Amino acid sequence: MECKDLWKTYKPNLVAVKDVSFKIDEGEIKLIFGPSGSGKSTFLRCLAMLTLPDKGDVFLKGECLTKTGVNLNKARARIGFVFQHIYLFRHLNAIGNVELALRQVLKMSKGDARQRALEALTEVRMEQCANQYPAQLSGGQQQRVGIARAIARNPDILLLDEPTSALDPELTGEVIDTLRDLAAMGTTMLIVSHEMPFAREVAHEMIFYDEGTIVETGPPQQFFTNPQSDRAKKFMTRLIMKTKRE
Amino acid sequence: MDLIQGLLQIAGGIATTLAISIFSLILGLAIGLPLSFVRTYGKSLRFLVDGFEKIFRGIPELVLMLLFYFGIGASFPFPFKNAFFTAVFVLGLRSGANQSQIFRGAIRGIGEEQMVASRSLGLSRLRSIAYVMIPQVFIFSTPGLGSEYALLVKDSAYAFIIGVPEIMKKADLVRAQTYSYLVPYFAAAVFYILLTFPIATWLDVWGSRRKKKLGL
Repeated sequence: MECKDLWKTYKPNLVAVKDVSFKIDEGEIKLIFGPSGSGKSTFLRCLAMLTLPDKGDVFLKGECLTKTGVNLNKARARIGFVFQHIYLFRHLNAIGNVELALRQVLKMSKGDARQRALEALTEVRMEQCANQYPAQLSGGQQQRVGIARAIARNPDILLLDEPTSALDPELTGEVIDTLRDLAAMGTTMLIVSHEMPFAREVAHEMIFYDEGTIVETGPPQQFFTNPQSDRAKKFMTRLIMKTKRE
Repeated sequence: MDLIQGLLQIAGGIATTLAISIFSLILGLAIGLPLSFVRTYGKSLRFLVDGFEKIFRGIPELVLMLLFYFGIGASFPFPFKNAFFTAVFVLGLRSGANQSQIFRGAIRGIGEEQMVASRSLGLSRLRSIAYVMIPQVFIFSTPGLGSEYALLVKDSAYAFIIGVPEIMKKADLVRAQTYSYLVPYFAAAVFYILLTFPIATWLDVWGSRRKKKLGL
């Protein structure tokens, strides 16, 4: 997936995405971090075509998603998106949440959809909760179902918007474990996250995002030992101190 | 005519009262549900929905009933000279205006996020409405729908004025035959309570249980 010269401005002159170009190859894992309100979520939503960018292009496997006449539903069907606040369908049980798009978007038969949904739930180790409703699950379990819902269609890329930051600290571990499993399977992932130990372990590249733009890019090692930009340096120091306190 | 006979005659109107109420509830649903989504998501058609709601919520049912049956019915005997049809039609339109507001509140209560999550999976807006929004809208709306049903049962009594043989009409006939004012009207009152209260309450309880279970 790739984007070129992407812009998104919210009135009044609040620029969330300021001329951002970015590329992620198949099988890569990249992690975006930066201060809250810097536009990371908007950037991710623009890539998923959930928020339409004002200017610039998004490409998925060479195909331009931003030109006129593109079927956005079909484009979104190829992208997995995991939300910070999860947004499971509350009237459906876990397997129902995962099945919905398989039935309604991929038009799979009832039996095939059920089987694929169970596989996806197994991948996040939630198969034993398949018949429970979101309200009966813990936050961490809900987010794992959210991930299963996103990966069940075998999307080309998985975009995760702070998947653990709305969870209690003791529940983030199980979600991180799930992401680790996905990484081991070679899933292409772009993750907005401040889970630094996890980043160090799985990310091929880290991206420091501030004030609507990419400030610095590099391997995790660079950020942990010697960030190039002052802003990244300051942010990392604060982040590491916070992690130590916890 | 003895008392039992009179009561049986009034009870004979129950089926018609129920038929008017249920058919107009269904007509109101068929109008109100699409309107609530048009009002929420359709930008340009918003004012049409607002206009429809204002008109049908603002005119007394009695006036509408007489207007359609005698007024418009004079030029269009079909279908408005059929009193039962006109009663269902008028109450259905009014209920559509009410239900549109009930459902709109439910859509707002469910929140935009459910829609975004559904669109993120590649579902079209229409499919998202059908499979994600509407099932939750109904759960959210059960108390409102319960009171709307009760309202329709009560307002079906206006059909008496155009001669539909429902409870009120029958009670009035018994009154005319027996010269008793108290018993027939009191019997009608009891029948109305029996038709409204249990169902509205049941809907309310069922809805709250369901909501609690789903954490809505």
